[in-house]
Amino acid sequence: MKNNLIKKLISIVAVSAMTASLLAGCGAEEAAAPVAEPAATEEPAAEEPAPAEAEEPAAETAEGELPRDETLYFAGQQWGTVNSWNVIGVNQNNSMAIAGNASGYRTLMFETLYMYDPLSGKCFPLLADGDYQWNDDQTEMTVKIKDAAKWSDGSDVTGADVVRTFVIGVEIGNNTGATYGAYIDKIEADGKNITIYVAKTDEGKPVNPLFVVDFLTGTPIAQAAWIDTLYERCGGDATAILNDPGEDVVWSGPYKKYFTDDQKVVLERDDNYWGQDASMWGSLPVPKYIAHTIYADNPAGQAALQAGEVDVCQQFISNVQDLWEKDGLPISTYYEEAPYGVCLTMPTAWYNMNLPVLADNAALRKAIAMAVDYDSIIANAMTNQSPSFSDVPRSLMNPTDGEQALYDHDAVKDLQWAGNDIDGAIALLEEAGIKDSDGDGYREYNGEKISLNAVCPNGWTDWQAAMEIVAAAGEKIGVEITTLYPEWDIYQTVFVDPSQTEYAIFMWSPEAASPSNPWHRVNQFLGSEYVGVENNWSGNWGQYTNEEADKLIKQIPLTTDAAEIKDLYTKLTEIYLTEVPSFSLMYRPSVFHAVNESVWTNFPSADDGRNIPPLDCTDGYGIAALYGLELAE
Amino acid sequence: MQGYRKYFTKKLVWFLITFVVAVTLNFILPRLMPADPVSAITGKLAAGNSDAKAVQKIYDRYAEEFGTNKPMWQQYLLFVKNLFKGDFGTSFSQYPRKVSNIIASAIWWTVCLQLPAILVGWILGNVLGALAAYLRKGWDKVLLPVSIFLSNVPAFGMAVTLLVLFAIKWKIAPVAGGYAFDQIPNFSWAFIKSVISHYQLPFWSIVIISIGGQAIGMRSMSIYELNADYVKYARFLGVKDRKIVGYVFRNAMLPQVTGLALSIGTMIGGALVAEIIFSYPGLGSTMYAAVTAADYPLISATTLIITIMVLIVTLLLDIIYGFIDPRVKAAQFDA
Repeated sequence: MKNNLIKKLISIVAVSAMTASLLAGCGAEEAAAPVAEPAATEEPAAEEPAPAEAEEPAAETAEGELPRDETLYFAGQQWGTVNSWNVIGVNQNNSMAIAGNASGYRTLMFETLYMYDPLSGKCFPLLADGDYQWNDDQTEMTVKIKDAAKWSDGSDVTGADVVRTFVIGVEIGNNTGATYGAYIDKIEADGKNITIYVAKTDEGKPVNPLFVVDFLTGTPIAQAAWIDTLYERCGGDATAILNDPGEDVVWSGPYKKYFTDDQKVVLERDDNYWGQDASMWGSLPVPKYIAHTIYADNPAGQAALQAGEVDVCQQFISNVQDLWEKDGLPISTYYEEAPYGVCLTMPTAWYNMNLPVLADNAALRKAIAMAVDYDSIIANAMTNQSPSFSDVPRSLMNPTDGEQALYDHDAVKDLQWAGNDIDGAIALLEEAGIKDSDGDGYREYNGEKISLNAVCPNGWTDWQAAMEIVAAAGEKIGVEITTLYPEWDIYQTVFVDPSQTEYAIFMWSPEAASPSNPWHRVNQFLGSEYVGVENNWSGNWGQYTNEEADKLIKQIPLTTDAAEIKDLYTKLTEIYLTEVPSFSLMYRPSVFHAVNESVWTNFPSADDGRNIPPLDCTDGYGIAALYGLELAE
Repeated sequence: MQGYRKYFTKKLVWFLITFVVAVTLNFILPRLMPADPVSAITGKLAAGNSDAKAVQKIYDRYAEEFGTNKPMWQQYLLFVKNLFKGDFGTSFSQYPRKVSNIIASAIWWTVCLQLPAILVGWILGNVLGALAAYLRKGWDKVLLPVSIFLSNVPAFGMAVTLLVLFAIKWKIAPVAGGYAFDQIPNFSWAFIKSVISHYQLPFWSIVIISIGGQAIGMRSMSIYELNADYVKYARFLGVKDRKIVGYVFRNAMLPQVTGLALSIGTMIGGALVAEIIFSYPGLGSTMYAAVTAADYPLISATTLIITIMVLIVTLLLDIIYGFIDPRVKAAQFDA
């Protein structure tokens, strides 16, 4: 009887398991259906058959399969499904094709006039031919476009395209218009030559020439003829133009759209790319396909990198060195040793000046900042992927040599602090009369216990770790600091509100590197331009004001003398380190760059003598890396 | 029959009332979050933009476009009006994509993952539970603790364990996604095979957990039934074991059927954890992304789908119970 039952049981389990696989299979086919359809429509029926010189004939490739040795895989750039290919639109959510800013635009599909290199601070010509030229008073700039530069439809890239890109941007209020409309008065074209007329103040001075240079490296140029087609299609309606999916877009870059769905985006090399001309790269980029699987989160992307399914990973990987030191994986970063990457920005804790206790007490602000154990933040939160504040003393500058040379280190030496200076901080508070008079272990201001919170978005683990260390510093000097981690959607609503009093110490990063930096960043730290602005995504989130700083900040963009610029930046650094309206907690790369060399190799590294910045082989001058990749043995 | 009509009408009226309340809550609850999604869209577009006036203009344009600057009651009326047209509106987080478009592309992944998983888990669980109750001794001693253990493993724990063991350590299953990273959807054998292999881990992570819960439920129901007077009486009469098991199974099944129906009703949200951990496309991950981005239209639409499915399933259950459960039947005729 029992034997019988057990036999029955086994057979039931076996049948159920088979049913499961069957259902799984059934699910698979059904599941494939909805995504297979766009595949057919997305790809415009192979308008360009693979040219004969392609090493591997298309016939050999199974349909729908991306040959591993022709595809460069990315992680950490694309989150969620691609919305559109409309380069003059908004919210494209198309990180591989339309992304970036002046610090390094991603020029795989759409190209800028120049490519920025944060290592040297230089602008390398892309669509442009040679350097840009300023007139004496920086009110006019001239740029020439390369003779070889062509659109994907074979027509020439001309000055008219640049003009149309700017004009439509201002008209419909897209990113280009919103970012540069206030700084450029107009652009005129004569064939391949353009003249940019800088917007002027009432006194006839240029508003800010630095942002005009940003325009050169941060604006993807769109084809005038295509813009006209789009304009007509949308009847000139700004919202319709911004939201158009732009499936028919014309591009000038080395890659074109190939496939997208909810799970990946793939670009295919355009073998007719103009840049193979000797006046530009002299060859095509090596990978035939650029693919980005859409991962749910960082751990998924990192797992894929470790599995060799991702070649270039733009994600913060904690203890990245373990991947090669302990796991023995063929993974590497730009530097072999800490800090592993090139740090261009400084995640910063901002003091909320809407709170009188913070606004009135520079000593309190400085004391907290002095007490924080930055080495511990850098060791724990950043797993040493940042230089310490002893290596690169704090100022308004990022750690690159170019920016570090912009202020007088000796002049501000006494004002700088490397952190964990509890005694110094306590002495400062005592001297300022901020004492614990009721003996509860916490200091008071105007008879009330000082109680602050330290806030950053939930799930941003490295920032959360940093906030914990800030709170611990408060405890050591008798200032109550509690941590608070709201969800991102709430955090971003509160911290851009200029009158908020909910967050006392909160985190955000200033600008990284671009032609307008460090000026732009300094303006974010100290400029009162953004004080009181609703939905303030621009800068000075703590609402700090200082008239002297404003005056100095305004002078810099109009100053051309290097010594004078250095003097101005030094004075601003003095103000910043004395007033402490905010304090940076670490240095950090603007993009992370870890590569798995199991399929591709010869990625940029610090000692290879090529000086290609580690910008994921895609951004700014970092794209040069695509032309030097080699297949691993 | 009179009793039935009254019973069904009553159920239907309650169904409609619940539906209206649910739609209203679907609208209100997401909007009570202290977050401003328009600010998020503006931030994505304008972060680091040095011209503050231009940023404000961008904000105003989106507030106008989404109607978030209108009073709540006006937004609600608009929401209901559009709902009748089957228009869930435009997503905030994936702007300018339509919510219906997002759901359409995600829902099949979830249905194809969840439906088979729920059914297989349910069948296996019930069979094992019934056997445990019947065989007792050795089998039960193994099955009960294992079931209790499995049913108490949190869904994310199971998913992560499977992921670490099978995908990362032993490398016999893919790490993430709905199909291989080097594939592009097409009707080739290679692609289908890749979809099947990506299907396994999320599928089993759901099945294994539901087996435990179902088995425990079925086991206790069966033990209860096995000790019922009618079983003893049947044994006493010398009725064959097989026949008795049949009776017991049918009676013990009743609450299990309710459980099955409810899990089918809630399946859209149920795969959330598996989908997120395995980066599996589907409505669960869509919903999660919508919640973290305060994407009201998308949250409302996904929760509305769950609400409607649960409502329909419970209504159907009520109706079916009216016929199959003698107690309900008797109650209606008494009334």
